[in-house]
Amino acid sequence: MSEPFDGQLDDDPRLRERLRAVDPAASLAPADPDRVARLLEATMSSTDHETETETETSGRTPRRAPFAWIAAAAAVLVLGGVAVAVTTTGDGDGERTPTAGGGGTDAPAVLTLAAPAAQEARCMVPTADVLAGQEVAFLGTVEEVADDTVVLAVDEQYAGTEADEVRVESPAEQMQLLVGAVDFRDGEQYLVSATDGRVTVCGFSGPATGELQTLYAEAFGG
Amino acid sequence: MAGDEQDRRARFEALAAGLVEPLRRYLARRTDPATADDVLSETLLVCWRRLEEVPEEPLPWAYAVARHALANAERSARRQRRVAGRVAALDPPAAVTADEPEVDVPLDEALAALRAEDAELLRLWAWEQLGPSEIAAVLGLTPNAVSIRLHRARGRLREELRKIGSPAGHEGSRGRSRS
Repeated sequence: MSEPFDGQLDDDPRLRERLRAVDPAASLAPADPDRVARLLEATMSSTDHETETETETSGRTPRRAPFAWIAAAAAVLVLGGVAVAVTTTGDGDGERTPTAGGGGTDAPAVLTLAAPAAQEARCMVPTADVLAGQEVAFLGTVEEVADDTVVLAVDEQYAGTEADEVRVESPAEQMQLLVGAVDFRDGEQYLVSATDGRVTVCGFSGPATGELQTLYAEAFGG
Repeated sequence: MAGDEQDRRARFEALAAGLVEPLRRYLARRTDPATADDVLSETLLVCWRRLEEVPEEPLPWAYAVARHALANAERSARRQRRVAGRVAALDPPAAVTADEPEVDVPLDEALAALRAEDAELLRLWAWEQLGPSEIAAVLGLTPNAVSIRLHRARGRLREELRKIGSPAGHEGSRGRSRS
Protein backbone atom coordinates (compact mmCIF):
# COMPACT_ATOMS: atom_id res chain seq x y z
CA MET A 1 0.00 0.00 0.00
CA SER A 2 2.96 2.28 0.08
CA GLU A 3 3.95 3.43 -3.36
CA PRO A 4 1.38 5.18 -5.46
CA PHE A 5 1.65 4.00 -8.99
CA ASP A 6 2.99 7.22 -10.33
CA GLY A 7 5.12 5.83 -13.03
CA GLN A 8 2.65 3.34 -14.36
CA LEU A 9 -0.13 5.75 -15.08
CA ASP A 10 0.49 8.03 -17.94
CA ASP A 11 2.14 11.27 -17.10
CA ASP A 12 1.44 13.06 -20.34
CA PRO A 13 4.21 15.64 -20.36
CA ARG A 14 2.75 17.34 -23.41
CA LEU A 15 -0.48 18.07 -21.64
CA ARG A 16 1.46 19.32 -18.67
CA GLU A 17 3.50 21.61 -20.88
CA ARG A 18 0.41 22.96 -22.51
CA LEU A 19 -1.06 23.74 -19.12
CA ARG A 20 2.16 25.26 -17.95
CA ALA A 21 2.15 27.59 -20.90
CA VAL A 22 -0.98 29.27 -19.58
CA ASP A 23 0.16 29.42 -15.97
CA PRO A 24 -1.11 32.82 -14.86
CA ALA A 25 1.65 33.11 -12.31
CA ALA A 26 4.46 32.39 -14.72
CA SER A 27 5.03 36.08 -15.14
CA LEU A 28 4.44 37.10 -11.57
CA ALA A 29 7.30 39.30 -10.50
CA PRO A 30 9.01 38.30 -7.27
CA ALA A 31 7.81 40.17 -4.24
CA ASP A 32 9.68 43.22 -3.10
CA PRO A 33 12.05 41.95 -0.38
CA ASP A 34 11.24 44.90 1.86
CA ARG A 35 7.56 44.15 1.68
CA VAL A 36 8.21 40.53 2.49
CA ALA A 37 10.34 41.51 5.46
CA ARG A 38 7.60 43.77 6.72
CA LEU A 39 5.02 41.08 6.22
CA LEU A 40 7.05 38.56 8.18
CA GLU A 41 7.66 41.05 10.93
CA ALA A 42 3.96 41.81 11.14
CA THR A 43 3.22 38.11 11.24
CA MET A 44 5.62 37.43 14.07
CA SER A 45 4.43 40.33 16.14
CA SER A 46 0.75 39.55 15.76
CA THR A 47 -0.93 38.69 18.98
CA ASP A 48 -2.21 35.27 19.15
CA HIS A 49 -5.83 35.49 20.13
CA GLU A 50 -8.02 35.83 17.12
CA THR A 51 -8.86 32.48 15.77
CA GLU A 52 -8.37 29.75 18.18
CA THR A 53 -8.56 28.74 21.72
CA GLU A 54 -6.89 25.44 21.24
CA THR A 55 -3.71 25.11 23.21
CA GLU A 56 -0.54 25.04 21.26
CA THR A 57 1.28 23.38 24.05
CA SER A 58 0.10 19.84 23.98
CA GLY A 59 1.19 17.50 21.31
CA ARG A 60 -1.15 15.07 22.86
CA THR A 61 -3.90 14.72 20.34
CA PRO A 62 -2.78 12.02 17.97
CA ARG A 63 -3.00 12.71 14.28
CA ARG A 64 -5.04 15.79 14.57
CA ALA A 65 -6.07 17.11 11.22
CA PRO A 66 -4.14 20.27 10.55
CA PHE A 67 -7.26 22.31 10.19
CA ALA A 68 -9.49 20.95 12.82
CA TRP A 69 -9.26 24.34 14.45
CA ILE A 70 -11.11 25.96 11.61
CA ALA A 71 -14.05 23.67 12.07
CA ALA A 72 -14.13 24.46 15.73
CA ALA A 73 -14.29 28.16 15.10
CA ALA A 74 -17.99 28.71 15.06
CA ALA A 75 -19.16 27.25 18.28
CA VAL A 76 -22.76 26.44 18.70
CA LEU A 77 -24.13 22.97 18.65
CA VAL A 78 -23.04 20.16 20.84
CA LEU A 79 -22.03 17.04 19.03
CA GLY A 80 -24.97 14.74 18.84
CA GLY A 81 -27.14 17.65 19.70
CA VAL A 82 -29.54 17.57 17.00
CA ALA A 83 -32.26 18.88 15.00
CA VAL A 84 -31.52 21.38 12.45
CA ALA A 85 -33.88 24.22 12.15
CA VAL A 86 -33.38 25.31 8.64
CA THR A 87 -35.87 27.21 6.63
CA THR A 88 -36.33 25.53 3.37
CA THR A 89 -37.10 26.29 -0.17
CA GLY A 90 -37.32 22.58 -0.63
CA ASP A 91 -37.97 22.01 -4.26
CA GLY A 92 -36.02 18.84 -3.99
CA ASP A 93 -34.14 19.09 -7.21
CA GLY A 94 -30.94 18.06 -5.55
CA GLU A 95 -30.86 15.14 -7.84
CA ARG A 96 -27.75 15.35 -9.80
CA THR A 97 -26.54 12.57 -11.92
CA PRO A 98 -23.08 11.54 -10.93
CA THR A 99 -20.67 12.21 -13.70
CA ALA A 100 -19.96 9.11 -15.61
CA GLY A 101 -16.51 7.74 -15.05
CA GLY A 102 -14.38 8.62 -18.00
CA GLY A 103 -11.88 5.83 -18.36
CA GLY A 104 -13.77 2.61 -18.06
CA THR A 105 -10.65 0.67 -17.32
CA ASP A 106 -10.01 2.16 -13.92
CA ALA A 107 -10.62 0.27 -10.75
CA PRO A 108 -13.51 1.60 -8.68
CA ALA A 109 -12.54 4.85 -7.08
CA VAL A 110 -12.38 4.55 -3.34
CA LEU A 111 -12.41 7.62 -1.20
CA THR A 112 -11.13 7.25 2.31
CA LEU A 113 -12.34 9.55 5.05
CA ALA A 114 -11.81 9.66 8.76
CA ALA A 115 -14.12 10.23 11.66
CA PRO A 116 -14.01 13.72 13.12
CA ALA A 117 -11.35 14.27 15.72
CA ALA A 118 -12.66 13.21 19.05
CA GLN A 119 -12.01 16.48 20.78
CA GLU A 120 -14.34 18.43 18.61
CA ALA A 121 -17.29 18.84 20.85
CA ARG A 122 -18.55 21.92 19.12
CA CYS A 123 -19.40 22.70 15.59
CA MET A 124 -21.12 25.00 13.20
CA VAL A 125 -24.82 25.45 12.70
CA PRO A 126 -25.71 23.43 9.65
CA THR A 127 -26.71 25.70 6.83
CA ALA A 128 -26.92 25.03 3.13
CA ASP A 129 -24.23 27.58 2.59
CA VAL A 130 -21.73 25.89 4.83
CA LEU A 131 -22.76 22.53 3.46
CA ALA A 132 -22.14 23.73 -0.07
CA GLY A 133 -18.61 24.54 0.96
CA GLN A 134 -17.85 21.01 2.07
CA GLU A 135 -15.23 19.29 0.01
CA VAL A 136 -17.05 16.01 -0.21
CA ALA A 137 -20.77 15.39 -0.15
CA PHE A 138 -22.64 12.35 -1.29
CA LEU A 139 -25.59 10.06 -0.86
CA GLY A 140 -24.48 6.58 0.02
CA THR A 141 -25.71 3.25 1.28
CA VAL A 142 -23.91 1.64 4.16
CA GLU A 143 -22.44 -1.67 3.16
CA GLU A 144 -20.45 -2.43 6.22
CA VAL A 145 -20.13 -1.15 9.75
CA ALA A 146 -17.15 -2.42 11.69
CA ASP A 147 -15.31 -1.22 14.75
CA ASP A 148 -12.98 0.98 12.84
CA THR A 149 -14.52 1.16 9.39
CA VAL A 150 -17.73 2.15 7.75
CA VAL A 151 -18.05 1.43 4.06
CA LEU A 152 -20.60 3.21 1.93
CA ALA A 153 -21.46 2.67 -1.70
CA VAL A 154 -21.89 6.03 -3.34
CA ASP A 155 -25.33 6.47 -4.85
CA GLU A 156 -25.01 10.09 -5.83
CA GLN A 157 -22.18 12.48 -5.44
CA TYR A 158 -22.74 16.18 -4.94
CA ALA A 159 -19.27 17.46 -4.20
CA GLY A 160 -15.75 16.19 -4.24
CA THR A 161 -13.86 14.02 -6.60
CA GLU A 162 -16.14 11.24 -7.56
CA ALA A 163 -15.83 7.91 -5.89
CA ASP A 164 -17.66 4.65 -6.18
CA GLU A 165 -17.08 3.70 -2.62
CA VAL A 166 -16.28 5.65 0.50
CA ARG A 167 -14.48 4.09 3.41
CA VAL A 168 -14.52 5.91 6.69
CA GLU A 169 -11.62 4.63 8.71
CA SER A 170 -10.67 5.72 12.18
CA PRO A 171 -9.55 4.30 15.47
CA ALA A 172 -12.43 2.49 17.13
CA GLU A 173 -12.93 5.14 19.76
CA GLN A 174 -13.43 7.97 17.30
CA MET A 175 -15.45 5.73 15.07
CA GLN A 176 -17.77 4.91 17.89
CA LEU A 177 -18.48 8.59 18.35
CA LEU A 178 -19.14 8.99 14.67
CA VAL A 179 -21.38 5.97 14.42
CA GLY A 180 -23.23 7.26 17.45
CA ALA A 181 -23.56 10.75 16.05
CA VAL A 182 -24.66 9.69 12.60
CA ASP A 183 -26.28 6.40 13.54
CA PHE A 184 -24.79 4.43 10.67
CA ARG A 185 -26.66 1.19 10.08
CA ASP A 186 -26.09 -1.46 7.54
CA GLY A 187 -28.19 -1.12 4.43
CA GLU A 188 -29.49 2.35 5.21
CA GLN A 189 -28.97 5.39 3.08
CA TYR A 190 -27.09 8.41 4.37
CA LEU A 191 -26.15 11.85 3.30
CA VAL A 192 -22.56 12.43 4.24
CA SER A 193 -20.26 15.37 3.89
CA ALA A 194 -16.62 15.81 4.74
CA THR A 195 -13.91 18.37 4.80
CA ASP A 196 -10.21 17.89 5.33
CA GLY A 197 -10.79 14.22 4.90
CA ARG A 198 -12.99 14.05 7.95
CA VAL A 199 -16.69 13.41 8.06
CA THR A 200 -18.58 16.42 9.29
CA VAL A 201 -21.17 15.73 11.90
CA CYS A 202 -23.37 18.08 13.89
CA GLY A 203 -26.21 18.01 11.44
CA PHE A 204 -24.16 17.83 8.26
CA SER A 205 -24.23 14.06 7.92
CA GLY A 206 -26.96 11.65 8.78
CA PRO A 207 -29.72 9.39 7.55
CA ALA A 208 -31.05 10.52 4.18
CA THR A 209 -34.37 11.76 5.38
CA GLY A 210 -36.47 14.89 5.70
CA GLU A 211 -34.58 17.90 6.86
CA LEU A 212 -31.20 16.67 5.82
CA GLN A 213 -32.44 15.93 2.32
CA THR A 214 -33.82 19.40 2.13
CA LEU A 215 -30.56 20.84 3.34
CA TYR A 216 -28.62 18.93 0.72
CA ALA A 217 -31.07 19.88 -1.98
CA GLU A 218 -30.65 23.50 -1.00
CA ALA A 219 -26.89 23.26 -0.94
CA PHE A 220 -26.38 21.32 -4.14
CA GLY A 221 -29.61 21.58 -6.03
CA GLY A 222 -28.92 24.78 -7.84
CA MET B 1 13.04 32.89 27.10
CA ALA B 2 14.36 35.61 24.89
CA GLY B 3 16.70 33.09 23.33
CA ASP B 4 13.85 30.72 22.62
CA GLU B 5 11.88 33.48 21.04
CA GLN B 6 14.84 34.50 18.90
CA ASP B 7 15.30 30.93 17.86
CA ARG B 8 11.65 30.58 16.96
CA ARG B 9 11.74 33.75 14.92
CA ALA B 10 14.82 32.56 13.10
CA ARG B 11 13.20 29.25 12.29
CA PHE B 12 10.10 30.97 11.02
CA GLU B 13 12.07 33.35 8.86
CA ALA B 14 14.01 30.49 7.35
CA LEU B 15 10.80 28.62 6.70
CA ALA B 16 8.99 31.62 5.27
CA ALA B 17 11.84 32.40 2.92
CA GLY B 18 11.09 29.20 1.09
CA LEU B 19 7.33 29.57 1.20
CA VAL B 20 6.50 33.11 0.24
CA GLU B 21 7.12 32.93 -3.48
CA PRO B 22 5.45 29.56 -4.07
CA LEU B 23 2.49 30.70 -2.01
CA ARG B 24 2.24 33.96 -3.91
CA ARG B 25 2.17 32.06 -7.16
CA TYR B 26 -0.29 29.55 -5.81
CA LEU B 27 -2.64 32.36 -4.81
CA ALA B 28 -2.11 34.44 -7.93
CA ARG B 29 -3.32 31.45 -9.90
CA ARG B 30 -6.49 31.16 -7.94
CA THR B 31 -7.76 34.50 -6.83
CA ASP B 32 -7.60 38.23 -7.25
CA PRO B 33 -4.55 40.17 -6.00
CA ALA B 34 -6.25 41.66 -2.94
CA THR B 35 -7.55 38.32 -1.73
CA ALA B 36 -4.18 36.78 -2.52
CA ASP B 37 -2.49 39.29 -0.22
CA ASP B 38 -4.94 38.65 2.57
CA VAL B 39 -4.68 34.92 2.29
CA LEU B 40 -0.90 35.05 2.15
CA SER B 41 -0.84 36.95 5.43
CA GLU B 42 -3.30 34.55 6.95
CA THR B 43 -1.30 31.57 5.78
CA LEU B 44 1.95 32.91 7.17
CA LEU B 45 0.21 33.60 10.43
CA VAL B 46 -0.89 30.00 10.67
CA CYS B 47 2.67 28.90 9.89
CA TRP B 48 3.96 31.13 12.63
CA ARG B 49 1.44 29.96 15.18
CA ARG B 50 1.82 26.36 14.31
CA LEU B 51 5.50 26.41 13.62
CA GLU B 52 6.05 23.35 15.76
CA GLU B 53 3.71 21.34 13.57
CA VAL B 54 5.18 22.26 10.23
CA PRO B 55 6.36 19.02 8.70
CA GLU B 56 9.74 18.37 7.21
CA GLU B 57 8.34 18.93 3.75
CA PRO B 58 6.67 22.26 4.45
CA LEU B 59 5.38 23.35 1.07
CA PRO B 60 2.45 20.95 0.57
CA TRP B 61 1.44 21.64 4.14
CA ALA B 62 1.60 25.36 3.51
CA TYR B 63 -0.40 24.98 0.30
CA ALA B 64 -3.00 23.15 2.32
CA VAL B 65 -3.11 26.00 4.82
CA ALA B 66 -3.44 28.51 2.00
CA ARG B 67 -6.08 26.42 0.35
CA HIS B 68 -8.22 26.47 3.44
CA ALA B 69 -7.62 30.11 4.17
CA LEU B 70 -8.60 30.86 0.60
CA ALA B 71 -11.71 28.73 0.87
CA ASN B 72 -12.69 30.66 3.97
CA ALA B 73 -12.06 33.97 2.30
CA GLU B 74 -14.16 32.91 -0.63
CA ARG B 75 -16.90 31.59 1.50
CA SER B 76 -17.31 35.09 2.81
CA ALA B 77 -17.16 36.48 -0.66
CA ARG B 78 -18.97 33.68 -2.34
CA ARG B 79 -19.91 35.54 -5.43
CA GLN B 80 -16.32 35.74 -6.48
CA ARG B 81 -15.97 32.06 -6.24
CA ARG B 82 -16.94 30.87 -9.66
CA VAL B 83 -15.08 33.66 -11.30
CA ALA B 84 -11.84 33.31 -9.42
CA GLY B 85 -10.33 30.56 -11.51
CA ARG B 86 -11.11 32.34 -14.70
CA VAL B 87 -9.97 35.70 -13.51
CA ALA B 88 -6.68 34.14 -12.61
CA ALA B 89 -6.47 32.44 -15.97
CA LEU B 90 -7.61 35.24 -18.20
CA ASP B 91 -6.48 38.30 -16.41
CA PRO B 92 -2.86 38.13 -15.35
CA PRO B 93 -2.09 39.79 -12.05
CA ALA B 94 -1.14 43.43 -12.17
CA ALA B 95 2.46 42.99 -11.14
CA VAL B 96 3.57 41.24 -14.24
CA THR B 97 6.77 41.63 -16.12
CA ALA B 98 7.48 41.01 -19.75
CA ASP B 99 6.41 37.44 -20.40
CA GLU B 100 2.68 37.26 -20.72
CA PRO B 101 1.35 33.76 -20.49
CA GLU B 102 0.22 32.31 -23.75
CA VAL B 103 -3.41 32.48 -24.64
CA ASP B 104 -4.87 29.08 -25.24
CA VAL B 105 -8.60 29.54 -25.50
CA PRO B 106 -9.47 25.88 -26.09
CA LEU B 107 -7.50 24.91 -23.02
CA ASP B 108 -9.25 27.52 -20.90
CA GLU B 109 -12.57 26.27 -22.13
CA ALA B 110 -11.66 22.67 -21.54
CA LEU B 111 -10.48 23.41 -18.02
CA ALA B 112 -13.63 25.37 -17.31
CA ALA B 113 -15.69 22.40 -18.46
CA LEU B 114 -14.07 20.09 -15.93
CA ARG B 115 -15.31 19.52 -12.45
CA ALA B 116 -13.63 21.89 -10.04
CA GLU B 117 -11.84 19.07 -8.28
CA ASP B 118 -10.40 17.73 -11.49
CA ALA B 119 -9.25 21.14 -12.62
CA GLU B 120 -7.61 21.74 -9.27
CA LEU B 121 -5.76 18.44 -9.44
CA LEU B 122 -4.47 19.40 -12.84
CA ARG B 123 -3.35 22.81 -11.62
CA LEU B 124 -1.50 21.31 -8.68
CA TRP B 125 0.12 18.88 -11.05
CA ALA B 126 1.03 21.26 -13.86
CA TRP B 127 1.37 24.64 -12.19
CA GLU B 128 2.61 23.81 -8.71
CA GLN B 129 4.36 20.81 -10.25
CA LEU B 130 3.57 18.54 -7.36
CA GLY B 131 3.71 14.78 -7.42
CA PRO B 132 0.85 12.59 -6.25
CA SER B 133 2.04 12.30 -2.67
CA GLU B 134 2.51 16.05 -2.40
CA ILE B 135 -0.91 16.69 -3.92
CA ALA B 136 -2.26 14.17 -1.46
CA ALA B 137 -0.79 16.21 1.38
CA VAL B 138 -2.40 19.37 0.03
CA LEU B 139 -5.82 17.84 -0.44
CA GLY B 140 -5.88 15.45 2.48
CA LEU B 141 -6.16 12.40 0.29
CA THR B 142 -4.09 9.30 -0.11
CA PRO B 143 -1.39 9.29 -2.79
CA ASN B 144 -3.09 6.40 -4.49
CA ALA B 145 -6.37 8.20 -4.69
CA VAL B 146 -4.59 11.20 -6.14
CA SER B 147 -2.85 9.07 -8.75
CA ILE B 148 -6.11 7.57 -9.84
CA ARG B 149 -7.96 10.85 -9.92
CA LEU B 150 -5.17 12.66 -11.65
CA HIS B 151 -5.11 10.00 -14.28
CA ARG B 152 -8.82 10.43 -14.81
CA ALA B 153 -8.63 14.19 -14.76
CA ARG B 154 -6.03 14.16 -17.49
CA GLY B 155 -8.24 11.86 -19.49
CA ARG B 156 -11.18 14.17 -19.05
CA LEU B 157 -9.17 17.20 -20.03
CA ARG B 158 -7.99 15.45 -23.18
CA GLU B 159 -11.55 14.46 -23.87
CA GLU B 160 -12.76 18.03 -23.48
CA LEU B 161 -10.00 19.23 -25.75
CA ARG B 162 -11.02 16.69 -28.32
CA LYS B 163 -14.61 17.85 -28.12
CA ILE B 164 -13.48 21.38 -28.67
CA GLY B 165 -11.40 20.22 -31.57
CA SER B 166 -8.03 20.94 -30.10
CA PRO B 167 -6.61 17.59 -29.10
CA ALA B 168 -3.61 17.48 -26.90
CA GLY B 169 -1.30 15.18 -25.08
CA HIS B 170 0.01 11.94 -26.34
CA GLU B 171 -2.79 11.42 -28.80
CA GLY B 172 -2.56 14.85 -30.23
CA SER B 173 -0.10 14.30 -32.99
CA ARG B 174 -2.67 13.76 -35.65
CA GLY B 175 -3.86 17.27 -35.46
CA ARG B 176 -7.29 18.70 -35.20
CA SER B 177 -9.53 16.64 -37.39
CA ARG B 178 -11.91 15.48 -34.69
CA SER B 179 -14.90 17.40 -33.60
